[in-house]
Amino acid sequence: MARHPLLGYLVWVVLFGAIFAWEGLALARVTGVPTLSDVFRVIMRYPVGRWALFALWLWAGWHFFIRGWHFLLRA
Amino acid sequence: MASAEVLALASADRQALMPMAAGYLILMSALGFGLRRLYRSRGDLSRADTWPDRARATPPGPGRRVGWAALARRVTGTVVGGYLLLMAIVVAYYFGIARVGPGFLESAVTGTALLLGLAAPVFAALSWLAERRARDRAEPGEPGQAPQDCRGRGV
Repeated sequence: MARHPLLGYLVWVVLFGAIFAWEGLALARVTGVPTLSDVFRVIMRYPVGRWALFALWLWAGWHFFIRGWHFLLRA
Repeated sequence: MASAEVLALASADRQALMPMAAGYLILMSALGFGLRRLYRSRGDLSRADTWPDRARATPPGPGRRVGWAALARRVTGTVVGGYLLLMAIVVAYYFGIARVGPGFLESAVTGTALLLGLAAPVFAALSWLAERRARDRAEPGEPGQAPQDCRGRGV
């Protein structure tokens, strides 16, 4: 597994922090800020949106749990 | 041999498991916090109505099919469509942008298929269990019915 530079972790922290901040504002009932559930509900009304979300979910699972790994973490 | 495996596991722990576990805990804490807020705002509703998606879901339209067959059709369409879309993107990435390695395409096809094989039965089982629990809670003692909407909410 490659060594990740600190900058890479910082970028991910900022991205996830932005998502959590958005959801926090939405849950605090700030006007005009929809929750992530509302956003996903709109996307999932359409078949192409469902395909895209499912493809994203599948890619994340493959990337984090399958790719480059061996059975029971055998090196 | 055994010590090498232990060392490999320890290395994997440091490099992958700890960040993943930390991210998982943060994500689940945030989701739990959001659910608590939603439940608290609906404190006067009955327990059966406290599912956020059910309470806020749009009722099925006039031409929309409901029931287990419609749910199966919808899930199958989503799984097949999502899988084919991801494969198209992966193949386009591999041949158009970067040939990252010899096992990349094979891993993409078989790895995601393995994930599907693991997740689909779990999703089906949890959807069925969640529907059965909601039905039992709503109508204790009465015979079961098909789901009212073709949206699975097991996972």
